[in-house]
Amino acid sequence: MNDPLEQSPILTVRALRKSYDDGRIEALRGVDLSIHAGEFVAISGPSGSGKSTLLQLIGGLDSATSGQVFFRNALLGTSVDLDTYRSHHVGFIFQGFYLMPTLRAIENVQVPMLAVKSNAKDRAERAESLLIEMGLENRMRQYPNELSGGERQRVAIARALANNPSILLADEPTGNLDSVNSARIMEMLIGIQECRGMTLIVVTHENDIANAAPRHIRIRDGRVEL
Amino acid sequence: MAIGAFVALVGFSRSFEHEWLEVYQSGGTDIAVIQKTFFNTSVDESAAAKLRTLPDIARATPMILNMMEITPEITALTYGWKSDSFELDSLTFKSGRCFRDGQPEVILGDLLASNLNKTAGDPLDNQGSKFTVTGVYHGSSALEASALILPLDQLQQIASLQGKVSAFHVRLRPLPAGESSQHYLASAQAQIEAALPDLRAVPAAERASSNQLVVMAHAAAWGTSSIALLIGILGIANTMAMSVFERTREIGILRALGWRRWKVLLLIQTEAAAMGFAGGIFGIFFGWSALRILSKLPQTASIVSAAFPPVLLLEALGVAVLAGLLAGAFPAWRGAHLSPVEALRHE
Repeated sequence: MNDPLEQSPILTVRALRKSYDDGRIEALRGVDLSIHAGEFVAISGPSGSGKSTLLQLIGGLDSATSGQVFFRNALLGTSVDLDTYRSHHVGFIFQGFYLMPTLRAIENVQVPMLAVKSNAKDRAERAESLLIEMGLENRMRQYPNELSGGERQRVAIARALANNPSILLADEPTGNLDSVNSARIMEMLIGIQECRGMTLIVVTHENDIANAAPRHIRIRDGRVEL
Repeated sequence: MAIGAFVALVGFSRSFEHEWLEVYQSGGTDIAVIQKTFFNTSVDESAAAKLRTLPDIARATPMILNMMEITPEITALTYGWKSDSFELDSLTFKSGRCFRDGQPEVILGDLLASNLNKTAGDPLDNQGSKFTVTGVYHGSSALEASALILPLDQLQQIASLQGKVSAFHVRLRPLPAGESSQHYLASAQAQIEAALPDLRAVPAAERASSNQLVVMAHAAAWGTSSIALLIGILGIANTMAMSVFERTREIGILRALGWRRWKVLLLIQTEAAAMGFAGGIFGIFFGWSALRILSKLPQTASIVSAAFPPVLLLEALGVAVLAGLLAGAFPAWRGAHLSPVEALRHE
């Protein structure tokens, strides 16, 4: 495998600022960083440091107050439409799982595919294959409230992979899980990142997880710690 | 309920219009010669003689139309006709005979006779005058079935309208070979209006749909339905707003997963339209039930038939879906414009 650092960055963040409440709260105070395709990066920091805000801006969920995020050298929100970016290039995994409570596991996995051109048969087949990959072949017809926390997060991972994104963004993916399930989820994410050569960015406050990543970015008071 | 009200009221007014058309068609009237307003009984009866001289006119019969209170509970459509009026030919007598001109005699539609509990030979007090019911007839429309018909001169007398009539009903000669019925009708209208410049010659079908009673019924039906629909729209809008509020996080998830605004808007609007459609189905059932009940009640049977035209069903469903879409528009717009991050934070 080529060294990812030798390639041009998949994500470049320049002078990124985000403030709330008419500028009274500054979540990010000028962040600059580059992430290469295929990297596994952990972003850590104390509560309120701005790490989740950074992930949201990198993921195109929100717009920056100032500064830019580039995806493959194209400016997000200008050269690349945020909806297209989120549906085609990014997969999200949240601490709270955020599954649709009224949909079965297999239907939840198909939700992102409805945002792109796809037919029902292909959607069903891909969702089934992803859930099998996550070891949920016997839980496909269950609703989220019938699944354990670990199972829900595995459904969420399958959903994040639905459109075969190049970047996987995980915001405290093990925050609601016990240690056994946490270890299993992290093992899965790392396995996926290695097998598929995806870029994996994990926001965490757990040192074990942060230390498992080849690259560890620490955020404090809205700035990257050097 | 709003669609139920729409179906019942608009169905009622349509059925009322249909009954009027039936009266003209069954009586064989081609043209009604009237003054500008429907209930204006001020046309000079002597104009009938002039009408009869026109080449295309086979028969022209003067008539008065009025509403009269027969009992405190029953107000009936009252016609004043001459005993040789061609429109009487379409009535089938179930008992008795027709009235005679110049005599205090009336004939009753079978529905009215039943409501008044009268049969041929019974006396009937009408506007302080004593009449005899000489016959009970069956008419082809609900309006005729609940009407009272008396000699024109008798109605002129009790209404103090001597020498005056409401309209002339005209039957044209058979359509000449090679001429279109539309052209023939237009030519006859022109003849009549040239001969009697103060009067208007209106084709029967137009008269049925544009007479003041029908226009008022339509206006009342649409007016009342609009208020009911507005209340319905507010109800759906409230439900949709609550639904969008309660599912803010789900909308955030969809947006986070790359769903475009228009797709979220379409999803919410589809739900609103489906809600309107489902309400429409229930409303149509309730409205149709109301029409059936009204068509059986003595007070309303005369002007309501239980007939339910398919076009009304389509209109009601269309109105229901449109009401749903209107009601869902703002909640859908709001939902589609939620910021994914804020929506995901929603508890």
